[in-house]
Amino acid sequence: MSSAAQKETRKAVAELGDKYKYGFVTDIEMERAPKGLSEDTVRYISAKKGEPEWMLEWRLAAFRRWVQMKEPDWARVHYPKIDYQNAYYYAAPKSTPLKQSLDEVDPKLLETYNKLGIPLHEQMALAGVAVDAVFDSVSVATTFKEKLNQAGVIFCPISEAIRDYPDLVKKYLGTVVPVTDNFFATLNSAVFSDGTFVYVPKGVRCPMELSTYFRINASETGQFERTLIVADEGSYVSYLEGCTAPKRDENQLHAAVVELVALDDAEIKYSTVQNWYPGDEDGKGGIYNFVTKRGDCRGRKSKISWTQVETGSAITWKYPSCILRGDDSVGEFYSIAIANHFQQADTGTKMIHLGRNTKSRIISKGISAGKAQNTYRGLVSVYGKAQNARNYTQCDSLLIGGECGAHTVPYIESRNPSARIEHEATTSKIAEDQLFYCLQRGIPQDEAVSLIVNGFCKEVLQQLPMEFAVEAQKLVGISLEGSVG
Amino acid sequence: MTALSAIALSEDRRARAAALVQDRGLPHRRIEEWKYSDLRAVLGEAGLSAVVAQYLIRNLPHGMDVWDLSRPDAPAWVTDNFARETGNTMNAASLAVADAGIALRVPAGMAIDDPLKLDFTGAGHVRALLVVEAGASLNLVEGVVAADFRNVGFEIALGEGARLEHVRICPALDGAVLVEEAAVRIAAGATYRGHFTGFGARLSRMELEIALEGTGAQAHLSGVALLDGRHSDITTHVSHLVGDTHSSQLFKHVAAGKGRAVYQGKVTVAKGANGADSSQTAKALLLGDAAEADLKPELEIFADDVKCAHGAAVGDLDAESLFYLRARGIPEAQARRMLLQAFLEDAVAEVGHAESREMARTELLAALEKVA
Repeated sequence: MSSAAQKETRKAVAELGDKYKYGFVTDIEMERAPKGLSEDTVRYISAKKGEPEWMLEWRLAAFRRWVQMKEPDWARVHYPKIDYQNAYYYAAPKSTPLKQSLDEVDPKLLETYNKLGIPLHEQMALAGVAVDAVFDSVSVATTFKEKLNQAGVIFCPISEAIRDYPDLVKKYLGTVVPVTDNFFATLNSAVFSDGTFVYVPKGVRCPMELSTYFRINASETGQFERTLIVADEGSYVSYLEGCTAPKRDENQLHAAVVELVALDDAEIKYSTVQNWYPGDEDGKGGIYNFVTKRGDCRGRKSKISWTQVETGSAITWKYPSCILRGDDSVGEFYSIAIANHFQQADTGTKMIHLGRNTKSRIISKGISAGKAQNTYRGLVSVYGKAQNARNYTQCDSLLIGGECGAHTVPYIESRNPSARIEHEATTSKIAEDQLFYCLQRGIPQDEAVSLIVNGFCKEVLQQLPMEFAVEAQKLVGISLEGSVG
Repeated sequence: MTALSAIALSEDRRARAAALVQDRGLPHRRIEEWKYSDLRAVLGEAGLSAVVAQYLIRNLPHGMDVWDLSRPDAPAWVTDNFARETGNTMNAASLAVADAGIALRVPAGMAIDDPLKLDFTGAGHVRALLVVEAGASLNLVEGVVAADFRNVGFEIALGEGARLEHVRICPALDGAVLVEEAAVRIAAGATYRGHFTGFGARLSRMELEIALEGTGAQAHLSGVALLDGRHSDITTHVSHLVGDTHSSQLFKHVAAGKGRAVYQGKVTVAKGANGADSSQTAKALLLGDAAEADLKPELEIFADDVKCAHGAAVGDLDAESLFYLRARGIPEAQARRMLLQAFLEDAVAEVGHAESREMARTELLAALEKVA
């Protein structure tokens, strides 16, 4: 952890006059669906996107199912009842349709990205990172299309994919997270506005890290992203997802669905840094993040790896999972969840071992500070045919202060005698001697905490692509400011 | 029917218990705590009968007080400790229905070596209360006799500095459905040791609700499940309500045939309970393709200055150890038995009462002959 980076971040935060760096609202004219949720809303969204009939039917089926479903209450999160009729389900900047080059993009939008620290021009120059930026539901600028085209990789907004690659979308959409999967996934299926579609053809190693920055902007619009990534036989792709949201007092709902499909010998690496508005120090405001993420290792020797750094959101409800269907497939889950002030995080993973010789690895680091509640909830399930399945799980919790809570709820189910499952968990606080050692050498308290926590998270941070690792380290520091002393 | 309510149980308390059961119905697998033990499925239409089970005192050590719960005008040591609120459905069920039960007491300061031997018999619901007053000590050996369905609601209270060792050995009971909840309250400086060895039933559930209420209170739980077919569920909830309290848990399970071994353990450290120290280990070995092990070691922590760790593992016998023994001329079946015995031994070694320990060992050895 470089303390120079720390200082730079701190300065940036100070300049904005607030602890939350990304709390600003871009004033761009918005086009909205009428408030509330009904079949008409679903039809409106579908029509706005110019979707084919089959997609509308798919959405309507989801909506009809959703109406009959009950919001889940098993997670250790508490929030006032959400009024689903008191929100907008579609909002798009009026400056669409898609532009051919960045020069045509609304300068105000570009400015927003600059404030976020992801200037597209710079990204282009940096090379190796293509950005499909999502600004309140509609993709506005896509870069590096050409290079990806050459490799045969499809990387586009999902609305575009529905239009241009209907066969691929039909074949895979909803096959990992079925329409009826759970309350929030079904809601997403009915009203998803946009998202990302990636298809990596047979034998192709995607030439660059793919990246999408999500951003919630217009007031009172929940964002319902839908991401579908398919890695065909023998291919490889690394996908980066990063999030920031503007500051406001109303709670905002976010219910995304991410589906990954890895065929024979394919590998998908999915990394997330989530830094949405967590609410203020008194627990007012913040994003509700109810996300369904699941990967299907459908082919032999396929691999799916989830890495997440969750520092934002008032409430996080998220369990990126792997279905290890193919023989010799591998699933990984590396997670850092930081909850400060009144944040509530209930996150973990599911590793479902169906195929022979399947392996999974779970490393979870939970940090609680302030009055936050942080829960790891996970399942490792080995089915009868999963000969020689192997799992290793490590869940560590760190508590900062006596007002917060850290909880661990692991489920371990084995139905095959040749399977080996190991689980370890520890709970501790920041050691006084470590803190003293740092203070004694002139490192200020906040920086010392950040240093120690970054050390605690090291195994997970190492899994992140380089650009993300730097951002994540800074976030760890910012998220825990003022939590000690 | 209302004999119990005539004494230790007010009509009001019984009505509340009945309402809770009415409201929740029989526990089933969609209720998270009963995910691995579907009581509703095994009991089916019969549901919760209003029949009353019995108890049998096989050995009553000299100096203990006994009170039949169906008698009127119970003494204060009974009324003060009986029918505490728990929110547990099955515990409420026994309160709502049972009109038989036993209360036992070791008076303050009395150390008793001779074990109290208590069996639960017959089908239906039954209540028991054991009070070990300040500075007293006791060994309790609990026996289990077959029944189609029995639900035992057991309350145990340990006074300051008291000691209790509780050993329960449950033989293989093929057709039986056995549910027992033991709610244990442990005062400052007192120690509870509980050991639970079982060979399974059609459905067997032992639930322990442990409250460490005073500084220096300790609870040490251990157990073995050896299943050749059948089901065994041990569910624990240890609450560290104040600081400087200790708990440890060590459970070893072996499942063969269609055996299903379940361990669900939850440790809660309350806000401000600094200095709580808790460890939790659960391991299972599967010996057959149709066997299943389910482990859920849970931590719920609201204080920062604590030491809490848990570990869990499921697997097969270590191939290398097996090879080592076979290379020295030990036949495979015998080598497997030796390794299984070694695997279970550290949980059995936790039993302090020598006679019970030997009994557990003997029964485990006999059962191992059959599975391995």
